[in-house]
Amino acid sequence: MSELKDPRKTFGEALVEVGELYENVLAISTDSSAGSGMTPFKEKFPERHLEFGIMEQGAIGFASGLATTGKIPFVVAIAPFVTSRPFEMFRNDLGYMKQNVKVVGRCAGISYSDLGATHQSLEDIAILRTIPGVTLFNPGDPAEIKNVVHAACEINGPVYIKIGKNKMPVLHQAGYPFEAGKGVVMRDGKDVTIIGTGTVLSKAHLATQILEKDEIDVRLIDIHTLKPIDVDIILKAASETNYIVTVEEHYLAGGLGSEVAELLAREGVCAKIKMIGIDDQYVKSGPYEELLSLYGLGAEQIAQTVKKLLL
Amino acid sequence: MLTVKDELQLKNITLNIRKKILRQIKAGRMGHIGGAMSIAEIITALYFKIMRVDPENPDWPMRDRFVLSAGHKCLALYAVLAEKGFFEENILDTYGSLGSKLPGHPNMFEIPGIETNTGALGHGLSIAGGMAMGLRMDGLQSKVYVIMGDGELAEGSNWEAAAACSHHKLSNILVFVDRNHLQIAGRTVDVMSYEPLDERWRAFGWSVREIDGHNIRQIVEVAEAFPFEEHKPSVIIANTVKSKGISFAEDRADFHYWKATDEEILRAEQDLLEIERRLKG
Repeated sequence: MSELKDPRKTFGEALVEVGELYENVLAISTDSSAGSGMTPFKEKFPERHLEFGIMEQGAIGFASGLATTGKIPFVVAIAPFVTSRPFEMFRNDLGYMKQNVKVVGRCAGISYSDLGATHQSLEDIAILRTIPGVTLFNPGDPAEIKNVVHAACEINGPVYIKIGKNKMPVLHQAGYPFEAGKGVVMRDGKDVTIIGTGTVLSKAHLATQILEKDEIDVRLIDIHTLKPIDVDIILKAASETNYIVTVEEHYLAGGLGSEVAELLAREGVCAKIKMIGIDDQYVKSGPYEELLSLYGLGAEQIAQTVKKLLL
Repeated sequence: MLTVKDELQLKNITLNIRKKILRQIKAGRMGHIGGAMSIAEIITALYFKIMRVDPENPDWPMRDRFVLSAGHKCLALYAVLAEKGFFEENILDTYGSLGSKLPGHPNMFEIPGIETNTGALGHGLSIAGGMAMGLRMDGLQSKVYVIMGDGELAEGSNWEAAAACSHHKLSNILVFVDRNHLQIAGRTVDVMSYEPLDERWRAFGWSVREIDGHNIRQIVEVAEAFPFEEHKPSVIIANTVKSKGISFAEDRADFHYWKATDEEILRAEQDLLEIERRLKG
C-alpha cells in the first residue's frame, strides 16, 4: 500500500504555499478553521485569516466583496455548507459576478460517513456545474490537492475544490504532468476505460490492478477537473476502448458520469457507458470504507462491475 | 454643508433622475417604478454630493463604492449614472428591448459604474461588507454606500451580514433603508413585520439615524456625518413614499412593478412637469 496523507492537512500546507506566493490570498473561516486545515495559515498570516462564525451564506457574499478589492479569498468548510446551502450566493455573487473566490468543500461526498445526510455532499458537482464560468476541481490524491490549489490561484475567477476527509493514498509521482482542465492517463489500455475522480480515484486504481490479474487491459484516466472537462481524452477513450466506466463518490445524477454521457451525446458519439456512483437515495451511516463497498465503490466491487460488462 | 443654491441644484437633478426613470419606463412600457422613485433623492445626493466617483475612470481604486442591494430599483441607478455621465443617455431608451445593456436588475458587465450584480434580495449587504473590509485592509479611505429595501429586510441573509459588519467593526459602510413601507403583497408591517426597525439595527451593533428620505438637505447632512459612531457601521432609515412624484401611483403596492399605458405615462409626465414648475417658481 502506498503512503497515506490527510487531505485536509495537505490542503492546509498548500494554502500556506499559495499564501506565501500571493500576498492577497485570504482564508475565510465559518467556525471551522482547524477542521478545514487552515490552522497553519492562520498562525503564519493571522491578519489574513477572517472568521465569520456559522454564517456560510454571508461568508460567500463577503468573499465576493473582498474579491472586488483584489483579494483571493479561500472559503473553506464542510462541503454542503459552502455549496448547497449558499447556492444562490455562489451563483450570483461568485459566478454571475465572475469573482476571484476559491471555495473549498472539505469532508465531501460520504466521507462524514457517520454523521448522516445533512453533512454529506453527493450533489455539489451537479449543482455547481450549472453555473457558467466556475472551475470545478476534484483532486484524486495528495499531490493533486496541492496542484489544484496552486492552479486555482492562477485562474482569475470562481473555483470550487472538493476534498474528502479520510487519508488518501499517494497515486501520482512528484512532477507528474498536471494541467487544469486536462485529464491524466494513469495507465493505458484498450479493453475498457475507467475514469475516476476525487476520493475514489484510488479505488479505481486498485480495481485496475485487480483486473490486470485477469488480463483485462484497462485504461485508467484521472479527471481532476470536472469543469471544464477534458473533452479530447474522453472522446479518444470512446473511440479506442470498448467501454467507459465512470467512478465517483457523488450522485449518479449530475456528476462525472453524467458529464461523460452528456458530452458523448452532444458530440453524437456512440459508446457503451457504465456509471458507478450513488443512486437516488440518502445513504446509510457506517464506517466509510464499508459504506463505499455497500454502494459499489470499493475496489473489488468496481472490478466486479467491469468484469460483468466484459462477459 | 449644503448651501441653498446647492440644495436647489440637487432638487433639479433629482427631477432629472425622475424624468430619466420615466423615460426608461416609456421605452420598455414596464418596470419597477415604485422603488426607483422612492430612492430618487437618496441616489441623487449620493452621486452628486456625497460619493467620490469619476465617470471618466469608473474603476478608480480610490472611489467610493455603491451597492444597490435592492437591485429592482435599478431604473434609478441607470438614471443617475447617465446623468453623471457614465454612459450615453440614449442607452436609456433601449430599456426593455432585446439585448439592452439595461436589464431589469443591474449587471456590472453591461455598463460602467455598476459595482455588483444584484437582484436576488438579501445579497448586497454581505458583498458591501466584503468591499468595506477589503478597502480597510488596503488602508484606503473609500467608503461603501448601500441602498436596501424595507421589504428586503425579511431575507435572513441580511442579518448575517449586519452581524458581520458590526463584529468586524466596519465603520466605513453606510446603509440607507428605503423605508417606503410597501412590498408586492402589501404593507411591510402586515406582510412580515420587522418592527421596531431602528432597535433591530441597534441590537445588531449599528449606529442608527432616521430621516425623511425625500428631504435632500436631511439626506446630505446626515450622510456627511457618517460614520455616526467610531468602530460601528452606520444605517439611515429613510422614510419614503413608493412611486414618489407620480401622483396616481404614490404609496400604492400595485405600482411596485408598473405595466404602463400610454395614458398613464402622459399623466406621469404631467406630474413631473408640475414638479418642475414648482421648482422654477
